[in-house]
Amino acid sequence: MASITFITPSGATRTVERKDGSLMEAAVQNGVEGIDADCGGVCSCATCHIHVEPEWVDRVGPPGSAERALLELQDVTNERSRLACQVRINDALDGLVVRVAAR
Amino acid sequence: MSEFPDPFREHRQKSGVLVCPFQGEPVPMILGYNELRRAAKDWQTFSNNAPFRVPIPSEESVRTVRQLPIETDPPEHTNYRAVTEPFFKRPLLPDVIERVRNLVGRMVERTLDRDQIEVLSEFSLPLQAKALTILLNVPESEADIWVEWGVRVFDVGDPHADGKNLDRYLTQRLDAAAAEPGADFFSYLTQAEFRGRRLTREEQMGFANLAFAGGRHTVIHTVSTIIDYFAGHPDALSFLRADARRIVPAVEEFVRIASPLTHIGRVCHKGAQALGEQVPPGGRVALCWASANRDENIFEDPDTVKLDRMPNPHVGFGSGHHSCMGAAHARLLLRSLLSALCEKVDRIERIDAQPHIEKEAAYTRITGFDRLVARFIRL
Repeated sequence: MASITFITPSGATRTVERKDGSLMEAAVQNGVEGIDADCGGVCSCATCHIHVEPEWVDRVGPPGSAERALLELQDVTNERSRLACQVRINDALDGLVVRVAAR
Repeated sequence: MSEFPDPFREHRQKSGVLVCPFQGEPVPMILGYNELRRAAKDWQTFSNNAPFRVPIPSEESVRTVRQLPIETDPPEHTNYRAVTEPFFKRPLLPDVIERVRNLVGRMVERTLDRDQIEVLSEFSLPLQAKALTILLNVPESEADIWVEWGVRVFDVGDPHADGKNLDRYLTQRLDAAAAEPGADFFSYLTQAEFRGRRLTREEQMGFANLAFAGGRHTVIHTVSTIIDYFAGHPDALSFLRADARRIVPAVEEFVRIASPLTHIGRVCHKGAQALGEQVPPGGRVALCWASANRDENIFEDPDTVKLDRMPNPHVGFGSGHHSCMGAAHARLLLRSLLSALCEKVDRIERIDAQPHIEKEAAYTRITGFDRLVARFIRL
């Protein structure tokens, strides 16, 4: 089981418990503001863009090539950007904190 | 030959561009995925600020209003888009989801009571129209009017589809909404604010025009393509039925392979170089979604339908700040369609099919069906 905290663009904090699936699914099922996930998780729409807090970047890992190509064209991309649909939850991410990117 | 031929492959691999004349204007079509996405983002070079000229062919002859928000650039576009975006997010609401699912279920059920149906006129077109009544929050009976307009509300070169029906209808509905506002889309437009003021009637017409024209033939052709695919691939329905989680990626894959909008234009006000092709000031390029969605550098085995393709970074709903506002609605409709077919239909038999062929000077492409007769067999 992992506890994940989302910080939304308006500053609200939402912590959810989840043992598997993707960060996007965890956000959508808990109504986290700013994660629309229009495409349902196939890495097509970039509406689940998050910034991983610096201390978690290594554990979350880098984006894959398709994800990177999408992120490169987003306005608010930085070196800690990921698409939440492409991040799988596991025990090693217990305590993870991410910020929902503003659009 | 592939079941879904790609007319752009050779040019995409050779130069990444195909110059195609439209209405006498040579238009370089940008074919490669990465180049297309970059151009879609670069609005300073490839602009949307050009009423009637974003679609190719141009639409001066079939409409009188600038479509909003699409025919504007940032920062104006950003403010315009914000006006109607909340309405187009309605498909994320549980009661809207339920109503669309219910509608699709009823429509599929009706096909099962018939020996055979003509899919385009008896299923895809009425389904698109009725689903739009839910998005726009108007009575379902309005769809009867819209169905009469045919697959395209207007069509350059077709004297029977000159857009006047739509203009008359929208004027009437906006008048009524202004007099007695309700919770529907027309009322929303009459009440909405843009930069601290109400929308003008011309702006209201511009938003409404796009809402009717944008998601019409695209949705209709995609629905027909899906029905025909299941007719040709009887195992595909069982594959989806075995795991409902496959429906979401399957919808994205159908949108990628169908790419119902072949391309869209951008205007180079100051001129530009597009992959070695010189575009004169005021000239246009086309962003070819259909080609980018078959780019072999991005999609493995791009001409094959892989219902569980993941990742699938397709551009079937466009790319960048002008990406399709109706995408959430289209996705809800298509996901509901696959769910209803899985739940109720054992198999579909194709009886007769006549593809819709888009024939231009430099390419020919199948984008759906003009006629598709099929039998739906109950599970």
